[in-house]
Amino acid sequence: MDKPSAGMSKVGSRSTASLPPEPVDIIRSMSCYRRVKLNVGGLPHEVLWRTLDRLPRTRLGKLRDCKTHESLMDICDDYNLDDNEYFFDRHPGAFTSILNFYRTGKLHMMEEMCALSFSQELDYWGVDEIYLESCCQARYHQKKEQMNEELKREADTLKDREGEEFDNTCCSEKRKKLWDLLEKPGSSVAAKILAIISILFIVLSTIALSLNTLPELQDTDEFGQTTDNPQLAHVEAVCIAWFTMEYLLRFLSSPNKWKFFKGPLNVIDLLAILPYYVTIFLTESNKSVLQFQNVRRVVQIFRIMRILRILKLARHSTGLQSLGFTLRRSYNELGLLILFLAMGIMIFSSLVFFAEKDEDDTKFKSIPASFWWATITMTTVGYGDIYPKTLLGKIVGGLCCIAGVLVIALPIPIIVNNFSEFYKEQKRQEKAIKRREALERAKRNGSIVSMNVREAFSRGAELLDVVVMDKGERTQDNHLSPSRWKWSSKRATSETSSNRSFNPDQGSPSKARASSPQRLNAQKLEEMYNQMAKTQSQPNLNTKDRSSSRAGHRRDEIELGALPSQGGDPLILGREGVVDMKSLSSIDSYISCATDFQENPRFPYSPAGGLSLHESSRFSHSPGSGLSARVSANPSLQTTLEHETMLTPPCSGAKPLNSESLRQPGLLGNSQKIHSVRVNHRNCGEASPSGGPLSDSSILSDHSILSPEVSVYTTASCRTPPKTPERKALTPAVFTFHDASISKYIDADTDDEEHLREGGPSERLLGGLSSKPRLSGYQGATNHLEAAQRLLGQNCLFPLGSSPSVGHENHVASENSRRPKGDRGHSNAFDKGL
Amino acid sequence: MWEFPRTRYADCNGSEASEETEIAVNIGGVKHILYGDVLNRYPETRLAELVNRATDSTQDVLCALCDDYDDSKREFYFDRDPEAFKCILELYYYGEIHMKRGICPMCFMKEMDYWGIDAEYLDECCISSLNEVQTELEEIAEKVKNILDDLEDDATLTRAQRCQAFLWKLMEKPESSLAARVIAVVSFAFILLSSVVMCMSTIPELQVEDAEGNLVEHPTLESIETACIIWFTAEYILRFLSSSNQVRFVFSFMNIIDFLAIMPFYVVLILTHLGTAVMELANVQQAVQALRIMRIARIFKLARHSSGLQTLTFALKSSLKELGLLLMYMSVGIFLFSALGYTLEQSHPETMFTSIPQSFWWAIITMTTVGYGDIYPKTTLGKCNAAVSFLCGVIAIALPIHPIINNFVIVYSKQRVLETAAKHEIELMALRAREKAQECPEAERTASGGSSSVWDSAAVSASQSDTYIPLLGDTTNVSKDQPTHKCKNN
Repeated sequence: MDKPSAGMSKVGSRSTASLPPEPVDIIRSMSCYRRVKLNVGGLPHEVLWRTLDRLPRTRLGKLRDCKTHESLMDICDDYNLDDNEYFFDRHPGAFTSILNFYRTGKLHMMEEMCALSFSQELDYWGVDEIYLESCCQARYHQKKEQMNEELKREADTLKDREGEEFDNTCCSEKRKKLWDLLEKPGSSVAAKILAIISILFIVLSTIALSLNTLPELQDTDEFGQTTDNPQLAHVEAVCIAWFTMEYLLRFLSSPNKWKFFKGPLNVIDLLAILPYYVTIFLTESNKSVLQFQNVRRVVQIFRIMRILRILKLARHSTGLQSLGFTLRRSYNELGLLILFLAMGIMIFSSLVFFAEKDEDDTKFKSIPASFWWATITMTTVGYGDIYPKTLLGKIVGGLCCIAGVLVIALPIPIIVNNFSEFYKEQKRQEKAIKRREALERAKRNGSIVSMNVREAFSRGAELLDVVVMDKGERTQDNHLSPSRWKWSSKRATSETSSNRSFNPDQGSPSKARASSPQRLNAQKLEEMYNQMAKTQSQPNLNTKDRSSSRAGHRRDEIELGALPSQGGDPLILGREGVVDMKSLSSIDSYISCATDFQENPRFPYSPAGGLSLHESSRFSHSPGSGLSARVSANPSLQTTLEHETMLTPPCSGAKPLNSESLRQPGLLGNSQKIHSVRVNHRNCGEASPSGGPLSDSSILSDHSILSPEVSVYTTASCRTPPKTPERKALTPAVFTFHDASISKYIDADTDDEEHLREGGPSERLLGGLSSKPRLSGYQGATNHLEAAQRLLGQNCLFPLGSSPSVGHENHVASENSRRPKGDRGHSNAFDKGL
Repeated sequence: MWEFPRTRYADCNGSEASEETEIAVNIGGVKHILYGDVLNRYPETRLAELVNRATDSTQDVLCALCDDYDDSKREFYFDRDPEAFKCILELYYYGEIHMKRGICPMCFMKEMDYWGIDAEYLDECCISSLNEVQTELEEIAEKVKNILDDLEDDATLTRAQRCQAFLWKLMEKPESSLAARVIAVVSFAFILLSSVVMCMSTIPELQVEDAEGNLVEHPTLESIETACIIWFTAEYILRFLSSSNQVRFVFSFMNIIDFLAIMPFYVVLILTHLGTAVMELANVQQAVQALRIMRIARIFKLARHSSGLQTLTFALKSSLKELGLLLMYMSVGIFLFSALGYTLEQSHPETMFTSIPQSFWWAIITMTTVGYGDIYPKTTLGKCNAAVSFLCGVIAIALPIHPIINNFVIVYSKQRVLETAAKHEIELMALRAREKAQECPEAERTASGGSSSVWDSAAVSASQSDTYIPLLGDTTNVSKDQPTHKCKNN
């Protein structure tokens, strides 16, 4: 179970009660209350002890018998004797039904629950799934079986992929290359071309085969028998040569010869080639006896077998493959269909036989003879070579038509269902493979808090899969994706240790610069920062505000002074301006964090992360860590809230924002990408859904610079909370941390933006000037953004992990994203630390 | 709440106190403040009872009313599901109950039962899902009962009865033993063989001429046929003898088919041997011919061995209405289009539509898209009519077929689920029985508080008055838990 996490959270939440309570206290607490409060994943329940005693062998039943601190900690994740409350770090949804089992003795299951996770919950709570009531049990088992089947299949494919090891014999390198070339058309351009050529050959050979039978194109041999057209025979020979070569190469390069030989697709290949050689062999060896009819017939049969090559197309079409799989999987239903048809044919043919047999010149001579009629009628083909003539026969015929339609229609939907399911699954599997790759990458990066192996796989993997898939989907959507994806794949192949994860980007800045979208982003981002900084430092606008704010920000400035790469930028008007900007933003998020924290303790960590990010020397005095300390100092209830929300805020808040804004550039083109990236960046940094004022203002500034893309802004600003109310809500919070001037500063800030909008062109010029030399610095920034996003995404995982480490991780994530100026050495060190 | 005239002030006939009372209830950790007049809208419910007795009762009584009573806060604690209670509470405010999404209907019914609310208050929209689950449960219960019947091993049976039961199992339950399985397979083979023979015997080449020059069946085929019939007869008689309820056996569907499959042979036999004495030879031959048709019935015997066919019959039975619809659509279409076709084709001199009944055939063949081509329209208008009739036919067939298919698919997929569900149910029942047997001595020993044993007295009574799966409840109570229940009541 969650031993480490339980222990850690305990330390965190019971820091006030330093010592574990005595057994006496525990017993007293248990005996003096009739009821007990159970907090499961943040959802409080109250239940009688008596109720829990009904099932003494389950986890909750054992809770009553616990006398010592250790045994109690064995059973629950945390407890508070004063409140008589016990905390379990489990899914609250499933617990409702489990608690109901104690109350009513009937175990039901929520409909929307995943069967697998429910079974895990049952395992945890020590309830046997056999208690599930029959109304829910059928559904449960159905779902569970389906899931298990799916997982098994996925594991199988995975095993298949892993099975392709080329380590046994010589030149494995080359063989692997060859194998990839021939078997995986998606792996390279050459492979794709090969696949297309192969398809062309198949089509060509089939056409040749059918043309061969045209009487006009046929020749006659010395026996007066028709033979192939010589030209077409050449075509045939070439095609067969190609097929043979392909098959042999495949066979040679295959890692597992026997498996290759058995594979259905390869059997088809072999069947497509063999008839040709057999025919040649037969004709050559029996040249003299070719006139014998039986040899000719054998040859004919083999010629017919050539048509099997059309099935070779299945290799290149997933649709055909899934058709084959469907037929294989639903042979039960196919059997049913044939049985129905057979019975119908039997019945109706005998009926029609008895009805028609006395007619003169009837074609229904016997029951087997009327089978044909029944088949043709039931399938509603109706050639009209046989048809009933008597009234009785016609009635039977009419019934036969209707019955045929019915009988054929009945089992087909089941087969269709199978097909569509399979087809869907195949698509999903393709995705799942990608997902798994991403997961492995993440594992190698060490960014996943690995728990117990089984737990990590069974629970964590699912959650994480979702996260990573999110990312994958996003990358498919937006323009940034190719480069991003390439990075990650590069990473996957090249890296071994985590701190090399950014090397591909760092090692080749020129390459990175060459890719234009990235470069543009970096440039524009830089530009914006400059402008922001400059407007702040313009004295005629808000000297007073600035000076007063400067005092308020001094600490931040000092801390930010450590940023190394800024020093190298000659074109910045005032370094303090930039720093100012940064500190301003830091305060902003400070504020938002503060309000968040006060109004809504559900976001304890994300604001903390947002806070701490601005302290570049974060190990020194940092309010962020102070806050988190406060959070952890809170009683157990607080921790539970953390646990619950850990799951929600990064997903619900920051992630959608990010993805949204990232998607926009894909739609709207190159230049607009910047804004969304920027917004994205901000959101990443602040990591809290209400990252309000700053991103808002930044959007405004963006607007002033690049006016035409209004639509982007409207969408973007829709995402951020409304400006004014937010600010109003903020002001009191500001006082708690800084002086009042800051809030003014914020107002001034927006004023600046307005001014800026008026003075657009000049600003733009300035921005353009300043942008060039900083490129490399920003390259790093975007990269970090990547990392930050990834890390942020994985926040979803953390409820499973230990809470202190969550804080740490988050810290890191935001740190990375918040320092766009590079500071690479630092972040790398950080990665190492991770 | 418009239908309910009793408003806050109109509700004067209730107790004076309940009008202003408000009670605090704590449902599994979620607290509610409830007003007496609101609760009294449904005076027969548990909450109304609570509020009426809350004011004038002593603490002991109050404690008995709920699971726990906090005197200082005057708070009633109920150890129930808070989520479901929210839905229950809706009754008092809106007059109707809607099930929470995702909750199992059976589970919710139990909650309603606990709060003393009748199932009829459940709103229409939620009743359908409840009914669905209920029918499924009934089916499971049926299956369970069947399995239990098989498992039942009464020691009181006489030797003859034991023999009978053994025979019954051998003949009717192929999965019960190896011998039974072998018998089922042999029976299946015989059915197939006899069907094949029936078809073969009509092929002219395989027939032989008898003394009068008529073609009759080949003697080999005839002997095979006889062997099959003997097997069928033996089977039928054994089944009949071993069945516990002979009348029900005779009238069950499958056995009627069995009977029809054997009967013609014997009738023919009797007629050929004795019939010539009674009536004309030609008549006898005609009767024999007619009876031969009935041999087809043996094909239906396959249904006994194929679950797919049983599903088909079940699905067809459950969608009789749609089948009727299909036939009605078809007949309307046939009448319409044959009449139209007949009229439109009159202008052509060599028309194939000689009469309306004649063109019925054409209409059927066209509408079902078979199209033999023995009759076809020749005028332009007639061709247009044919096209329209073809389209209408496709629609007329496709529309009612969909529900039939649906029925079939549902039955087909349910079939597999039911089997496992029934098995599970039996396991669960066994487990429960064992548990109760274990708990009972304990309860006797501790004797002091009946409530402190397993599900306390209230819960037990609730489970006894359990409305759902009446069958199941019966079987559990009667067959398994008789002794344990007694000991509980003690």
